[in-house]
Amino acid sequence: MIDTADRRERPPVPHSLPYNTMVYALLIIAAIVLMSPLLFALSISVQGPTMDPRFIPRDLTTLDFAIFARVFEDEPIISRWILNSFVVASGVTLGVVVTSALFAYVLAYFSFPGKALLLFVALGSLMVPFEATLIPNYLLVASWGWTNSYQGLILPFIASGFGIFLMRQYFLTLPRELYDAALVDGCSRFRYLWMILLPLSRPAIATLAVYTFLSTWNQFYWPLLVTSATEWRTTQVGITIFRNFEGGVVYNTQMAATLIVMLPTLVLLVLGQRQLVSGLTSGALKG
Amino acid sequence: MQEDVVSIVAPVSAPVAYGRQNALARWWSRPRNRELLMALLYSSPALIIFFLFTYFPFVRAIWLSLNITNQRGEPAAFNGLGYYLRVLSLDGSGRTDYLQSIGTSFQFTLMVVPTVIIIAVGLAVLAATRVRGIQFFRLIFTSSIAISLASAGVIWSLIYNPSSGATRWVVELLNLGVPGVLNSNLTTIPAVAVMSVWSALGFNFIIALAGLQAIPEDLYESASIDGAGGWHKFRFITLPLLSPTLLFLVIIGTIGALQAFTQFHLLIPDSPNTVFIYETFRAFWYDNRYGLASAMSIIVFIILITLTIIQYRTLDQRVHYQ
Repeated sequence: MIDTADRRERPPVPHSLPYNTMVYALLIIAAIVLMSPLLFALSISVQGPTMDPRFIPRDLTTLDFAIFARVFEDEPIISRWILNSFVVASGVTLGVVVTSALFAYVLAYFSFPGKALLLFVALGSLMVPFEATLIPNYLLVASWGWTNSYQGLILPFIASGFGIFLMRQYFLTLPRELYDAALVDGCSRFRYLWMILLPLSRPAIATLAVYTFLSTWNQFYWPLLVTSATEWRTTQVGITIFRNFEGGVVYNTQMAATLIVMLPTLVLLVLGQRQLVSGLTSGALKG
Repeated sequence: MQEDVVSIVAPVSAPVAYGRQNALARWWSRPRNRELLMALLYSSPALIIFFLFTYFPFVRAIWLSLNITNQRGEPAAFNGLGYYLRVLSLDGSGRTDYLQSIGTSFQFTLMVVPTVIIIAVGLAVLAATRVRGIQFFRLIFTSSIAISLASAGVIWSLIYNPSSGATRWVVELLNLGVPGVLNSNLTTIPAVAVMSVWSALGFNFIIALAGLQAIPEDLYESASIDGAGGWHKFRFITLPLLSPTLLFLVIIGTIGALQAFTQFHLLIPDSPNTVFIYETFRAFWYDNRYGLASAMSIIVFIILITLTIIQYRTLDQRVHYQ
């Protein structure tokens, strides 16, 4: 499933039995150790509302798997948090893809004085870490009354220097002659972008979209600042405020909710692995 | 009324207006100029966002950092470099709290980065074996990529709960004398580091695996013919050829660890000993000291930009390697 190298991997080679046994033993031990926090969360969710949950449940016959359905009835607000996260992650993804494609189109195909400056502005944005703009951004968004709103959660993130760079690099791999020929034939610039360039750039768009969706879905710091009303929280902030309810934490509900909001990104990892991995590896170049 | 006046004057001014229109039409008829206009149009959505939410706030943060601010975040009195001197404890007051939290940040980074890279390389070596079903294990080793720090923080704060078996065992083993590992000065930062290692493992694993798979197979084959054992092959082939990947992981990991916020907010929000990023958040969010917090965020910027420059330098070198 994961094909990280460019070349095709060779098929499995037959090994001696002791070798195979050792490799599998190590793989299984590593997998169990790495999965144990998730198994722990799963175990706690199905043990009912006990105040003394165990990693290995005491009574394996009374496990309560219905909790994953019931959590939506017990805490109806979770549905709203999931909706918020979907709206925000989709909005940011769409915005980033559109602004990056337009900007990268200009960088890759247009020629005019001052183009280098444009590239500089886009790449320069990668040099300014989130932390350095956080406080004025919060003050700005708050002064516009945009706290507890979708625009406050989405708009600051709909331009990405990384996205522009990724799209530009991809556009540059496509033949320039195609563009010149299309324009000579009377194709408008916008039509070329929309009808030819974007369909050809599907792999790059997929990489950018999967990466942006995942990182926006998992955002914590900014949503924590600009949402204060319970119904405006996103999933990531939502699951953490369970802890602050008076009278202790209902562990099983909290763990069930945590596992549920993890699902979209886990599904994205399984389905869009190639895109995600290439996005993460190139996205990591950002400071 | 006004229109009448204009119509009377019109014949006189007409040639001028026509001239202007012609200039505009001529300007527009040049493909170069049309291209420039369209370039500005297409790049404007991203440009507006960059200026509004990156460059303008950055400049504003610098300005705020030089001022004492009021409760609404407006500059009230010019303070010069006062806050910077205060944070770096050069103001002569002898208060070293912020300087200590910078130390804690680097301490935390030193705990996380080497650990996660060593485990990731170990896992990658294991997962590079070509046995049946290896894809499934690779997926499991990668999975933490998809698990947010918030989810991980919620789960690990329950693991670190004083009532959890594993935590009780650690508390007794180290003889901490307080309930839970998050309440003892000795173990708070290492506990957050362990969670962060788990969280960062997926990414480091996938990069390390890609690095391993890029090493040509025949090097190992010829080494085997020459009688090299497993350890020798790892030491003299894998490690040297993997070193650019490792360098990349060290820099990326350091930048990431210095920016860690979520896990500190979820695991040890009240700890007196915490990282610089979290102290910045406290000054900003709880104390509303926007000027001080801005100065702290600019110091974060200076540290990170230094690392980023080093990163780009070394990545350039990496290209020459291959």
